[in-house]
Amino acid sequence: MSELSVSADPIVSARGLTKSFGRKQILHGLDFDIPAGRIYGLVGHNGAGKTTTLNAMLGLTSYEGTIRVLGEDPFARRAKLMENVAFISDVASLPRFLRVRELFALLTNIHPNFSPEKARQFLEGTDIRPEMKIRTLSKGMIAQLHLAVVMAIDAKLLVLDEPTLGLDITYRKRFYRRLLEDYMTEERTLIITTHQVDEIEFMLSDIMFIRDGEMILHMQMETVSEKFTQLVADSAEAQAQARAHRPVYEETRFGQTVFILDGVEREKLEPLGRISTPTISDLFVALMQRPTANPETAR
Amino acid sequence: MDDFHASQPIFVQIRQRLIEMILRQQVAEGDALPSVRQIAGDLSVNPLTVTKAFEALVDIGVVEKRRGLGMFVTSGARAHLLAHEREKFLKEDWPRIAAQIKALDLDLKDLISTDTKREGQTK
Repeated sequence: MSELSVSADPIVSARGLTKSFGRKQILHGLDFDIPAGRIYGLVGHNGAGKTTTLNAMLGLTSYEGTIRVLGEDPFARRAKLMENVAFISDVASLPRFLRVRELFALLTNIHPNFSPEKARQFLEGTDIRPEMKIRTLSKGMIAQLHLAVVMAIDAKLLVLDEPTLGLDITYRKRFYRRLLEDYMTEERTLIITTHQVDEIEFMLSDIMFIRDGEMILHMQMETVSEKFTQLVADSAEAQAQARAHRPVYEETRFGQTVFILDGVEREKLEPLGRISTPTISDLFVALMQRPTANPETAR
Repeated sequence: MDDFHASQPIFVQIRQRLIEMILRQQVAEGDALPSVRQIAGDLSVNPLTVTKAFEALVDIGVVEKRRGLGMFVTSGARAHLLAHEREKFLKEDWPRIAAQIKALDLDLKDLISTDTKREGQTK
């Protein structure tokens, strides 16, 4: 743990990252560092700028400001960078006319860090066979194949943009289990975006919330549980006392009022009702609805 | 172990589960505990969280890391943990339970007879 948090250079580093399409600015100057060995969750509404941020990291789009991935400018040095970066995009497709075995042969030819043996190993225990044509595979099988391919690339950074979109719960669980058991190491970094954030909440070491092209939260998960508290208060008196602590969010559900509080000591809240750590999705809803982002919560 | 949003941090819950495995002798002294990867995969938690739980047990000398092999229960771990857990029970849990017994006006006889009845049922 400690040796990781002090590890020297960040895997990704962005300063004033800005992106515009025509006159419309999509990213309004993001600053962040992503260290090695961590699992990042990138959360935001559709159109908030998640994919644009990932594309900038992967060298798939031009941008203003600075971004460095493994010390390189991804747009200028994309081919070089791809030796150490792998990704699954939400619009990813594999060549449908190839057989699985042919796909592996193709990748062996074009990618210096791709291991066909590893890819075959990762397919053991699935229903996918080397002779199968990709177009005959089900959606879940394609996701498994895709994961096997990216995990067989000895990359330092793996970016997964909605990797489990459209998969059923069994496949989603299997997908993440594979990643944790067979891929993640202290030298590798994982960035995941997903709308099913509660499923991966405890896998994450860090979380980033993007709203309208701005980073409104960038925090270690441990800090999230120290800083934010969810309080369910029943009585009007307890609710009034909770409000005195200036909750960032308040919602009445089924006769009970749920508050989310930022930086209030738990001892002060314990007498007022049931307290817990908010789920990432509850926190997301709370912070997305705030009229103005609180600069204190953005790191 | 199933409620990660409870007040106890996840690494504490994992540490507690590992302690139980040793105390109940599900893993014997000198044997390997499940790997960080396996636990992370089983529970869908971050490997660093699992590592932190192991580190806490390494610090009190009941688990040792063998390079390239994994985490092993040290010899004497169970006795050490028993002493540790007994002390914790007497210090942290017992005063609360004792207060409740007092509040409910139960005496030793009631408690012991309930206990033996239970045992009789399970046997």
